[in-house]
Amino acid sequence: MTAGKYLQIAFGVIVIAALIVVPMNFNRYGLFILSQWAVMTIAAMGLNLTLGYAGQVSLAQGAFVGIGAYAAAIMTSNGLPLIAALGVAIVLCFAIGWILGYPALRVQHHYLAFVTLAFSTLAFLVFRNEDWLTKGIYGISNIPRPEIFGFPTRRPLPFYYLCLGSLGIVSLAVWWLIRSPWGRAFVALRENPVRALSLGIDTRRYTLMAFAIGSALGGVAGTLYAPLTQYVDPVPFSLALSLDLLMMVIVGGSGFFFGPFLGAMIAVLLPEWLRFTQGYYLMLYAVAVILLLIYSPTGILGILDRYMAERRTKAASALRAVAKSRLETAP
Amino acid sequence: MKPVFLASALLATIMTTAAFGQGAPIKLANVAELSGGGATVGTNWKNGIDLAIEEINAKGGVLGRKLEVTHADSQSNPGVARAQVQKALDAEPYVLLGPGYSGSVKVTAPLAAEAGITQIMGGEAAELTQSGNRFLFRTSFGQQSSMPKVAKYINDDLKAKSVAIVWVNNDFGKGGRDVITKEFAKYNIKVAADISTEAGQADFAADVSKIKAAAPEAVFIYVNEEESARILKELKRQGITVPLMGETTLVGQKVIELAGDAANGARGHVGLTTDAPVELIKAFRDKFVKKYNYVPDHNGLKGWLAIYMIKATTEKMGKVDSKGFADALHGFTITAAKEPGILMDATFDANGDIDRQGFLAEVVEGKQVIKQVLPKLNN
Repeated sequence: MTAGKYLQIAFGVIVIAALIVVPMNFNRYGLFILSQWAVMTIAAMGLNLTLGYAGQVSLAQGAFVGIGAYAAAIMTSNGLPLIAALGVAIVLCFAIGWILGYPALRVQHHYLAFVTLAFSTLAFLVFRNEDWLTKGIYGISNIPRPEIFGFPTRRPLPFYYLCLGSLGIVSLAVWWLIRSPWGRAFVALRENPVRALSLGIDTRRYTLMAFAIGSALGGVAGTLYAPLTQYVDPVPFSLALSLDLLMMVIVGGSGFFFGPFLGAMIAVLLPEWLRFTQGYYLMLYAVAVILLLIYSPTGILGILDRYMAERRTKAASALRAVAKSRLETAP
Repeated sequence: MKPVFLASALLATIMTTAAFGQGAPIKLANVAELSGGGATVGTNWKNGIDLAIEEINAKGGVLGRKLEVTHADSQSNPGVARAQVQKALDAEPYVLLGPGYSGSVKVTAPLAAEAGITQIMGGEAAELTQSGNRFLFRTSFGQQSSMPKVAKYINDDLKAKSVAIVWVNNDFGKGGRDVITKEFAKYNIKVAADISTEAGQADFAADVSKIKAAAPEAVFIYVNEEESARILKELKRQGITVPLMGETTLVGQKVIELAGDAANGARGHVGLTTDAPVELIKAFRDKFVKKYNYVPDHNGLKGWLAIYMIKATTEKMGKVDSKGFADALHGFTITAAKEPGILMDATFDANGDIDRQGFLAEVVEGKQVIKQVLPKLNN
């Protein structure tokens, strides 16, 4: 291992420790916002898998968060444990995501975006109009927070740890996934589907898989969202959330592992920081995002990536120059 | 000499602290829909609050202390509303104001109750005040008190036995539709057509032809302002002449402006209106227009009233006591004679519901005309 590697690990450990220790002194508002960040990061990681790695544009991630949230809301308010709701949400979102993947086999890019947009609207209408199941526009209130191994998470701090823990588990799983043959197949799919096919990758199966796994992560985020706000109604899961998640992925850096973490941070925390400007905060937020994307269309991590690439190029050219001069001066 | 000096220093410190305590502003927190789908609601509410506070502070404040308010935007999203209310409560305000959307009230009311802080809000859904929350207060009629009056009027005065209901499919519209449907059942009024519409809907041709096909004896319209104007135009275009009845929005100034001729003949129950034949309300309207350059809807009045509810209740208690506030407001009648800012006498019951006189209005030649004044339920 190189020194750089150690530095990276040390940095990671410090960040994780900070995420655990620092919020201990936070008030309820700060903990709520941080929990929201963790939940949105999970949903954005799912979309990053579909969009960033496999290259399939989806405007339905918000709907999957909604499906997860409703599964959690309905089941836990009927006395079932959250873990059961989590199972149902994952299976449901995986299956629906798989089915939604079929159009992706036929249409690409913005056409695909339109298909998923239609699904997003459909999901919203189901949440709102199927009163018997979702209580319609009134929404479901008083959603209980779960007990994890006998520990109640009713207070904000334990619930934040639940969200953070879930984020940790999901991160490890995704980290493993993108380093597995599957992850490489996803990237191959994004870069050049024809070549991927010619190399023997079942592009059909992997496209569907990218959708299904990404959607399932949306469902996971949803099952945490419901007990976080303790109230679900259809409005938060409209197209706006899908667009928001898409923005998180792009702003953070689509196709980078840490992209969703940064993207969610920008989307959840930046408007909160800007609130001191009163009526202007959403405008400033929008301007900041636009400027960022003009400066770096590949997101925040794109800047870092560019910088690293430049440094590597510089180092390489320096080496080349040295080698060249040695060659020339060689007897 | 030294002890005297020390004692006087101590005394001075105590006195300045006391004076500071006396003069420190009373902190209020407002969380409202300042952006998103409810921006009109929240902005009116906020402006009403600011106007009232400005007036009260200019006259020396409440019990000699100035009022101070922070505004936070809920983006019309319950999740954001929850975060903002959490933040507001962490700062321990005297009273929490807002939100206006019933869904956002539902998610935030338990937090305020847990903190023991009174919440004065704009939501109108019937169920809000029926869950036994001691800290929640309305600024306007809930649907459970306005809809019975509408149903009674349709039955007694219009003598309609079949009614088409047009409602906007959000918590406001659906809540009203559910309550009035129950009321209609009491009078054996048939629901000839039950038509749900979308917020922001532009074209009502299909909905109106459904109404035409159902041939009701009256139409009850419960949608937002812009949509009210659009459907009124469409009803006129398709030649529907049966009485059109609404609640607050249908006969509002904005609808009359947008719908033009088509608004003539529309009737409605109005709990709070800037067109009410009450001198104090007219004066309020003039002040509002002078400051903000537009005529407020009932949400502007609600924000204003919330502040005067706080003033009257605090003066009744004779002290700024956050914990005792809710108890003092329960069962309290604020009279306009004693507190002109309340505009009309209002009584708050044990649930936090408001009782106040209401109006039945009709649009005649482009003007809202009050036809009947409905007295308070319990005098």
